[in-house]
Amino acid sequence: MAKWGMVIDLEKCTGCQACTIACGMENNRLPGEHWQDVIFFTEGKYPNTQIKWFPRPCMHCENPSCVAVCPTRATYKTEEGFVLVDWNRCIGCKYCMIACPYGVRFYTEEKAAYGGPNVKDVFPAEDKHSWNPPWKMPDSQEDWKHGVGVQPHDVVSKCTFCHHRVSKAPKGTADLDPSDPKLREYTPACVVTCAPGARFFGDLDNPESEVNRLIANKNGARLLDHLGNKPQVYYLTGEGGAVPSGRALKKS
Amino acid sequence: MTTRYLEPKNFAEVFTHLGKLYRDHGPLGFLKIAWNLGHEPTPAGAMWKFGLILLTLTFGFSFIMLATVGHASFNTSSDGVNWGMPIATYAFFALMSSGLTMIAALPMVFGFKQFYPIAKRAIWLSIVTLIAGFAVLAMELGHPFRMLWTIPTGLQVMSPMFWMGVFYTIDLILLFIKFYLLWKDDWDSGVSHLVGALGFGAVILASGMLGLVFGSMVMRPMWYGSFTSIFFMLTAALTGAAAIVLAVYMSFGFKREAMPEPLKSMAEGDELPKVFATLIGITLVMVLTRMWTGLWSNLDGLEGFKALFQSPLFHFQVWICFALPFYLMLNRETNRGVMWQVISSVLVLLGMAINRYEFIVGGQLVPMFKGNWVNSLNAYTPSITEWALTLMGWGLAFALYALGERLFKLHAVPGEPRVIR
Ligand code: SF4
Ligand code: SF4
Repeated sequence: MAKWGMVIDLEKCTGCQACTIACGMENNRLPGEHWQDVIFFTEGKYPNTQIKWFPRPCMHCENPSCVAVCPTRATYKTEEGFVLVDWNRCIGCKYCMIACPYGVRFYTEEKAAYGGPNVKDVFPAEDKHSWNPPWKMPDSQEDWKHGVGVQPHDVVSKCTFCHHRVSKAPKGTADLDPSDPKLREYTPACVVTCAPGARFFGDLDNPESEVNRLIANKNGARLLDHLGNKPQVYYLTGEGGAVPSGRALKKS
Repeated sequence: MTTRYLEPKNFAEVFTHLGKLYRDHGPLGFLKIAWNLGHEPTPAGAMWKFGLILLTLTFGFSFIMLATVGHASFNTSSDGVNWGMPIATYAFFALMSSGLTMIAALPMVFGFKQFYPIAKRAIWLSIVTLIAGFAVLAMELGHPFRMLWTIPTGLQVMSPMFWMGVFYTIDLILLFIKFYLLWKDDWDSGVSHLVGALGFGAVILASGMLGLVFGSMVMRPMWYGSFTSIFFMLTAALTGAAAIVLAVYMSFGFKREAMPEPLKSMAEGDELPKVFATLIGITLVMVLTRMWTGLWSNLDGLEGFKALFQSPLFHFQVWICFALPFYLMLNRETNRGVMWQVISSVLVLLGMAINRYEFIVGGQLVPMFKGNWVNSLNAYTPSITEWALTLMGWGLAFALYALGERLFKLHAVPGEPRVIR
């Protein structure tokens, strides 16, 4: 059984947000509700200031606190390492949002993120979906048990590691390399779209995989590792990047 | 001429009596009696009307908002405060209920018999406030009905929220049984003692688990630690004490002369203010130690303490709502006065409501990993719908308390006739 993981090379990432857009298109996200986001933050004080950025999907943690707290088992971890939300079970208690250290979870019922217009009102749904996006994934791909598709009302959603693509990959695949035409359709949308090739996706249990090699050779680091969630997303910092050690809050 | 009321023996008697009233007075007359909760005005009748009006307005408003706008009518957000005022209100009522059961346990489990006159009332209030808390929570959840099958089938034993649900459910069932036994004037049988002891255990676990919901969150350091459960248990006791003091006085129109004998001497005695003052003192110390630990520590994620310390609400809570009543209940000049006791309990309840809000919302002030998208502390003010839910809890508690006051002899002590007044 594969254990899927991601490696993001911060030396290559240009902060272009193409991954954010690709994810939004792939997974029918609302504007401002980014399952995958690039976080920008500043460090230092004038005149010595820096702007930095940092791509942040769901970490699909090895010890996911969101799974532990979910009273209904709507949030669960699969054997292949995906952390998913079953939209048929979620009661919208939002405890998982409280418990995720990385802030990657979203509740359906909210005010428009950018202050409007509320696209949900512009494209209202006539069925159980929370809205009816003008462009959306084929109905056949929609899968509420795994939190894939247009979100229903009053549940929590999050990055699925593109479960609808990755779960169909041929068994035994070590790496989902988007430059390989045979594997491209199984590769997460953010990885496919990343122009500088900063994202890698593969099997963390396979000693031969490229992701394992990168983590070992280039000191893969995990975000807020002291909290014990043990992310399955690793960052390569090299000379050009840094994993923020805190929440990047301006101290006043 | 005032009518003498007898406590009904069972529900059959209640309904027979209601049927008789209906036949004797006709539909309009019956409605008038129901609206007054009796033939002539009583303090219970006034509470009932107030509660009913508040409940109808707030429930109606929030129901319409939830049906049309949905939970987007809350000011909570995924990028900011996830749990807002309704959750704080739920915690306030749930812990008030736990505290009331603890107070009732003083005579019934620990043998402080001088507190018998408030035991039955405390149990009833405990039931009522737990129902109020659950009602607010149900309106806050995305899918409250789905919970009924997903939690039992999921059995996620790792979740503090699961255990909170388990122990509050057990607590509610035991409360119903205990109240039924007291209604049947069974104060001292083995079963009654057992139910009382189990109920006390359930309530300690329930409030402790509610504390664990927050205390286990290592990613939210303002909540993290075993202190949170202890804090919830002890402040629950204070909330319960304040609630019972206020409730007793309200039921007798704030007049000690109107109280029947054992209750009156209890209210006049010096043990009530002593217990009250002790609990306020403990709370004051806990609130202050939590604050200074938070202010002094440098850990990433504790920045919210500074904001809390700078908020006028915090100081109002500490000095006006806790320190002042603490003084009033210690001072021999004031601690037996009706007015001072009432003022103290109102202030303490207000302080605890502020404290729950501050604890829960304040603990989420530091944004999770959002970088410069959210580069300062989260802003949150409750929306009108969230306020309505909070007031709905109060309306429900008032109405149900008044109903119990009218229906049962809440000031009963062991082996007394069923004359309510
Ligand atoms: S990043 Fe958050 S939502 Fe994703 S698995 Fe970890 S705890 Fe859960
Ligand atoms: S909001 Fe849904 S997924 Fe999250 S903890 Fe509650 S039931 Fe589980």
